[in-house]
Amino acid sequence: MVASTTRFGPLSFAKVIPLKNISAFLIVFLSAVGVAGGQRETNATDKVSQVDAPSNRTLLLNLASGDEDLIKQTIERLARTDDLQVARFFDNYSEDKVVNWPDEDGNARIFVKGETEEDNDLNEFVPLFDPLALVPFLLDGKHVKPELWEVEDIAPDRKLKKLLGLYSPDSEIREVAVKSCASKPYNLDALPLLAKISETDGDQKIRWSANESILLIRMEGKDPDHSDFDDRDGSIRQLSESKSLRALPRVVEILKKLQEGDQEFANLTEEHRAEMVASCESAIENIGAHQDTVDRSNNIFQGISYGTVLILMALGLAITFGLMGVINMAHGELMMVGAYATYQMQLVFGHTAENPVDSYFVVALPVAFFAAAIVGLIMEWLVVRHLYNRPLESLLATWGVSLILIQLARVIYGDNIGVNAPAWLSGSRAYWEVYQDVLLPYNRLYLLGLCVICVSFVYFIMRRTKQGMLMRATMQNRDMAESLGVRTRNVDRFTFALGSGIAGIAGYGWTIIGGVTPDMGQKLFIVDSFLVVVTGGVGELAGVICSGLGIGVITKMIEPTEFGDFLMGPVWAKVALLALIVAFIQFRPSGLFASKGRAADD
Amino acid sequence: MKINKLYRILTSLILVSVSSSSAFAVKIGVLHSLSGTMAISETSLRDVVLMAVDEINAKGGVLGEKIEPVVVDPASNWPLFKDKAEQLITRDKVAVTFGCWTSVSRKSCLPVFEEHNGLLFYPVQYEGEEQSLNVFYTAATPNQQLVPAAEYMMKEFESKKFYLLGTDYVFPRTANKVLKAFLKSKGVPDENVLEVYTPFHHQEYQTIVAQIKKFAASGDACVLSTINGDSNVPFYKEFANQGLTSKDCPIMAFSVAEDELRAMDVPPLVGHLACWNYYQSIKTRENAAFVKSFKKYCQAKGLPGGTKRVTDDPIEAAYFGVYVWKAAVEKAKSFDVDKVRQAVYGLKFDAPGGPKAMHSSNQHTLKPVYVGEILKNGQFKIVWKSKGLVSPDSYSSYLHTDGNIPKPTGGPNGDGSL
Repeated sequence: MVASTTRFGPLSFAKVIPLKNISAFLIVFLSAVGVAGGQRETNATDKVSQVDAPSNRTLLLNLASGDEDLIKQTIERLARTDDLQVARFFDNYSEDKVVNWPDEDGNARIFVKGETEEDNDLNEFVPLFDPLALVPFLLDGKHVKPELWEVEDIAPDRKLKKLLGLYSPDSEIREVAVKSCASKPYNLDALPLLAKISETDGDQKIRWSANESILLIRMEGKDPDHSDFDDRDGSIRQLSESKSLRALPRVVEILKKLQEGDQEFANLTEEHRAEMVASCESAIENIGAHQDTVDRSNNIFQGISYGTVLILMALGLAITFGLMGVINMAHGELMMVGAYATYQMQLVFGHTAENPVDSYFVVALPVAFFAAAIVGLIMEWLVVRHLYNRPLESLLATWGVSLILIQLARVIYGDNIGVNAPAWLSGSRAYWEVYQDVLLPYNRLYLLGLCVICVSFVYFIMRRTKQGMLMRATMQNRDMAESLGVRTRNVDRFTFALGSGIAGIAGYGWTIIGGVTPDMGQKLFIVDSFLVVVTGGVGELAGVICSGLGIGVITKMIEPTEFGDFLMGPVWAKVALLALIVAFIQFRPSGLFASKGRAADD
Repeated sequence: MKINKLYRILTSLILVSVSSSSAFAVKIGVLHSLSGTMAISETSLRDVVLMAVDEINAKGGVLGEKIEPVVVDPASNWPLFKDKAEQLITRDKVAVTFGCWTSVSRKSCLPVFEEHNGLLFYPVQYEGEEQSLNVFYTAATPNQQLVPAAEYMMKEFESKKFYLLGTDYVFPRTANKVLKAFLKSKGVPDENVLEVYTPFHHQEYQTIVAQIKKFAASGDACVLSTINGDSNVPFYKEFANQGLTSKDCPIMAFSVAEDELRAMDVPPLVGHLACWNYYQSIKTRENAAFVKSFKKYCQAKGLPGGTKRVTDDPIEAAYFGVYVWKAAVEKAKSFDVDKVRQAVYGLKFDAPGGPKAMHSSNQHTLKPVYVGEILKNGQFKIVWKSKGLVSPDSYSSYLHTDGNIPKPTGGPNGDGSL
């Protein structure tokens, strides 16, 4: 049995607090301490012991040799120096920033490259930096910047990258590297390092994952030092106890081999074979149960998440169509306006994936709302107000407006734009692990929050403000309201602007989970929005919430069901859902929560 | 009196418009969607073809004649491709057409080219299974893209399980047939290959990614993706959201190139792979010059994106297609389709990405194969290169295992014979 000092059971989540900033700081701090080994001064960047610096530099030249074994040995020797400069070099090396620019005699020279620069003639140059000290490389006092095609990229191969990732001070990189050690092809050189990480790393999840990777490798008999029966059987049991989902398919594979008498297990005694079969079966049962819980929780969350996206999309339409009876085919385009407004904010703030300026996202929310509201107001004033009692005409006219808006977006922004999500919503660790293996991504949680806020906002306006009261009055009986002195024209404008503004917010939210193109309104949103509003009941906001959530959850429940070999999948789930809605409408033509609205009166 | 004057004005207008489309220039057709779903991809091809035309005209044209491009917009509407092709051949009397992207658009206008014995240069990777004497295919067939990529995954990643995910139309369906046949021939059991399709514009990938996660839990799976267009964005985003990285389960994409990456939030894609015959990051003086000219061209013409434009495989293929035609015309000393066709066979030429050659008989192009890894800046890092040029199979040997290859179609006699 493996004697392990750390208790390896299911992850305890009482201690996992998603306070990203504080934990990130702690991890970087602890790792920096770990890397430095507490033996050297780590303050000066280029004051590293002068004795070692030249020899480190000579070692670096080996990286250009193309000889895999030599490169691996070089990395190991460099790693043993426990030098912060070397650790940073490793990060640059993993990020493909190391280059070889040979001199005139063809001798290798290693540098770290900076961001590519372009001159007025569009020639591309790459500035070179000293690989360890990271200061600009100067020749005759000038910073050297050869042409892009002159320098050769030196990057580690995949196996080496995994190894390098284990040294990184960045916990996100380390976690990915630790987990990937158990993906083929296995890098057995990583085993001692993994063992060290499983005991000493500051992050609990990383320690757990390191232990998991070690056990997975051991279970497959690939660990040369621990490959006897006790080790393999013990690994199976430990992985079962910790409910490791990654172990499940491998255990199934092992059980199959045992039952088929595969030669891998040919020299096991009968007793051992029975014992291993028993371990496998109990593992499969244990982990299988966990997998089912995970699947079900994920399914429910996915359904709710999809539902909240639908609600956000349909909320604006519920106001304009539901409460005012205006068939607004340009509703999808109003969402597009919100999405492009978000993109414009990204440009204004200069946010890119390389240089994040996350505040743009906070500012983009009101900007998207007002941009869409203004476009909605213009549309109302020019087109819609003439067509309040004529549904067919308002459908055609707003369809025309939608085409205009699409082409406008295409002319101004072109067809290809990339909206970058803010840094705190992206990245491979941007999720909240509520329970072991149940991952709730931050961006979907953000959308959930956004949906709740929007719904509360609309409810607040409708029920608790004077404007909302005027809206409801106008809707219930326009003539009566007018004779009581309500300016119904203003109320109409306000209502339409509100609905459009909410659509803008939906577009803003969409940018973090999907792509932004000029025709996104037509292709993605309009049909689903109308579906939700009609099912929920034209005129009642509570209906939108129920139908949105209902449609979302039901679709996600149908998608993974299997009938023998046939998986429902997204296409058939949509077909089934539409069939259900059609049937539902037969029984309840006015939707879930039918209520009084202008359309209902007529 | 008034009607007379009107007639005079009308006739002079007509004469002016007829003469301004000079009867002496040689016309070529540009048949790419400039609006609609495919506009995102196809407008760059029109741009680079026009750039090639400008370059050629500046150096004196072809056989001393200037070339005049006739640009039409079939608007991603497949039947309209047929009408526009008909218009280019019969009304504008173009000597050659450069066009199409999706296989359905090519198949729609193929009958027109075959009926009139016209010539089309088609610059986009496709599913093969076609050999028309009226088309020259300057981009990859499955054995120049799909098969080497699958082989790479099996060797480098030791992948044993393959999740074939595609958009539901002819290219992914046929591509997956070839891939399945190839994987089977390499001994991959059926239960290790899953095949899933989503419609165009599909955005909801939560369930599929959850399925991939389970599939990849054994650590030796990969995704072979033929997802097309804007569905790529939510797919890669969801993939990253659920905690999957290119190290747990790498995605090898066949329809994601530098131009598509321009429209995406790249960070979730970093580390994933694609397989093409050209990358903007190929480090040669010639390629750097080509990239530079294209950027300058876009800037000078005020095209959206300006100097941020990129080059990719279809763009390089569209560009060298024009030069291959020019070289063939000069070799044949004629614009006649049949003579040009003969001159194209076996032609060797220098493309921006390196030297390539036209196959001696099957209408396709010999190209090198590169596997690239996506970088944060939307460019690719080349991680594998084929040894030399790979010869194209117009009909996949994995699907026609009995050796019976269908005959070519079209040509001057209309039946595939020369």
